Amino acid sequence: MKKTFAITLILALVLALFALPISAQDRWDGADDLDVNPLACGMGDEMMEDDGDDMEEEMEMMEYDGGMAAMGDDMDDMAGMDIVLVDVPKLVGIGYFAATTLGQQQAAEELGNVSVTTDAPTEANIDDQIQVIDSYITAGVDGILFAANDPVAIAPVLRKALESGIHVVGYDANSEPDAREWFVNQAEFNGIAKALVDSLADQMGADASFGIVTSTFTTPNQARWIAEMWAYAGECYPDLEWLETLEAQEDAVLSFQQAQTLLNKYGEDLDGIFAMTSVATPNSADAVQQAGVCEDVAVVGLATPNGMKPYVNDGCVRDVILWNPVDLGYAAVYVMRAVVDGEFQPGDASISAGRLGELVVVNGSEVLLGPPFVFTADNINDFDF
Amino acid sequence: MATAEPPTARNPSLSEKLRDLIFSQEGVLFIIMLISVLFLATRTDKFLTVDNLLQQGRFMTEVGLIAIPMTYIIITGGIDLSVGSILGLTAIVLGWTWQELGFPLPLAIVTGIASGTLAGFVNGLFIVRVGVPPLIMTLATLALYRGLAEGISEAKSARGYPEWFFQLGQGEFLSIPTQLWLLIIAVIVFGIVLARTRLGRALYSIGNNETAARFSGLTVNRYLLFIYSFSGFMSAVAGYIFVSRVSTTRSDMGTGMELDVIAAVVLGGTSIFGGTGSIPGTIIGVVLIQLLKNGLALSGVTSDATIVVIGTVLIFAILVNNFIQHRRGES
Repeated sequence: MKKTFAITLILALVLALFALPISAQDRWDGADDLDVNPLACGMGDEMMEDDGDDMEEEMEMMEYDGGMAAMGDDMDDMAGMDIVLVDVPKLVGIGYFAATTLGQQQAAEELGNVSVTTDAPTEANIDDQIQVIDSYITAGVDGILFAANDPVAIAPVLRKALESGIHVVGYDANSEPDAREWFVNQAEFNGIAKALVDSLADQMGADASFGIVTSTFTTPNQARWIAEMWAYAGECYPDLEWLETLEAQEDAVLSFQQAQTLLNKYGEDLDGIFAMTSVATPNSADAVQQAGVCEDVAVVGLATPNGMKPYVNDGCVRDVILWNPVDLGYAAVYVMRAVVDGEFQPGDASISAGRLGELVVVNGSEVLLGPPFVFTADNINDFDF
Repeated sequence: MATAEPPTARNPSLSEKLRDLIFSQEGVLFIIMLISVLFLATRTDKFLTVDNLLQQGRFMTEVGLIAIPMTYIIITGGIDLSVGSILGLTAIVLGWTWQELGFPLPLAIVTGIASGTLAGFVNGLFIVRVGVPPLIMTLATLALYRGLAEGISEAKSARGYPEWFFQLGQGEFLSIPTQLWLLIIAVIVFGIVLARTRLGRALYSIGNNETAARFSGLTVNRYLLFIYSFSGFMSAVAGYIFVSRVSTTRSDMGTGMELDVIAAVVLGGTSIFGGTGSIPGTIIGVVLIQLLKNGLALSGVTSDATIVVIGTVLIFAILVNNFIQHRRGES
């Protein structure tokens, strides 16, 4: 009897733990709980640019909140000298970061006095990434470019780099601001969110029902976009119906299965799928195509063009939203070069980044790449990454 | 084999002892480790420095701590796949009770470690009472505990801990990383427990023949319940250290860690079929993998190539060891 009681007690405890998290949460699953800042409603590109300008004016007020690399005696000598950089993206072996690497190599070639090596774990793991960066600090490099797997977890090791006089510039996924000097922001979260939601509403109507396939609920970029999508949809398309958010961990097989789950579970009720990663989007499109419901379910997502060409070219997917990751990597190297040369200082309002022209500074210590880019059947074949 | 040791030693029993030591599982592995370290040191002068080695000690502490109970468990012929998930669950409970429920931080730490221990206890309870095979039970809780962590956290990460909290994960004590002291003490204590106490002998006999152990009057169930709870406890302590080291809690912490731990234990000479294994072997396994990872990275080998090299070294080390142990068994 005693034993049975003990087991029952344990089971009850486990169940209680399960029941606890089911509390009311008004945001969609996978959204973070930070402040949201939805853009004005509307479809026009001009609108977006206008908002961008407002944003700049507003943000120029903010003071530089990045960190500073420790100054050694030889620091001034680095201006114009050959520098060795290491690039540590979230992981290697996926098209997206292959594209940022390509952009970095293009910039390095143009500049002529920069060499960049890309090295990162083969899985997006916070601890592995910390260890890779730590190794390069020990090995000694002039600068570190990074895309953080976690903004807080990566901060101590980046601060260590700054303390040892290594310049640190982030791109794609930010760290705590004081742990790096600058961050190249590929697109503001509210801009991407607006582009995604507008595309779905335009394709399936303002009362469409949709599911979301994301990486994990805690991945910072995805969580931020979902929060902004929730805010923007709430303002501009109150009749859009969110059904469910599923995690697929940037895994191809899992993404396909999660999209299938949405299709099977909601059937006729499902009008669209938002795919939040460059892995989830083509695999969700694949699931929709194999189910033969291209006409009934719109896949709108973030992805690299090469992965989406089959689906866009045969009409199963209309819009693919993204920025240009080649430009993102390219800009990061230009920012790093200017920082090392002392030409880009806290308080500057813009930076000249080669073929990209002048990029503006936002949020204190971020360099904005520009508005998001929509790949369609008309332009997707012009890109190769 | 007989010529491997020069006949210079005057005391033959000493030379025999030395030979036994060198050709034991741990001895062979230690030599492989020395060769690897010397080779890596010739590739880069940044590798064999005190600072770098201490930093590696910091990085390997969590895996090292969990590898101790994992050695116990694998010696009994069991396995615990849920350790990485328990680490994540502990981290989340710690952060959640502190930030959401407003517990004082020390109480949150205790609650976190208690829930990790309870998670291990539940594993053990089902394994001994219900008779679920350890592989199945812990595979199930690998998913269950991770799910709990994600559910409790509601995708939020707890941040903004006070400065003292980071002492364990980022601080130093007598110029050695704080958590490394914990690992050293744990290795010594639990190494002795395994090698020199009744508990240790009981674990080996359970691994060699569980039925025989039961008939010899050993309280097998109690021992098993203890080691799975112990595994939960150590994973929980590792979780606390991990949170203190990276300054944040996330529900995906420790994902895939069970494989790193099991690889180190098996590399250290613990048989996956139970009955043999030791803590010194396990620790050499943990250290060897960490030093290879770091040394290769410092010599300019990229991470994706590094895991290939580590995999190759693992197979090589196990083959060499099997070969030598086999020859010793014959002679």
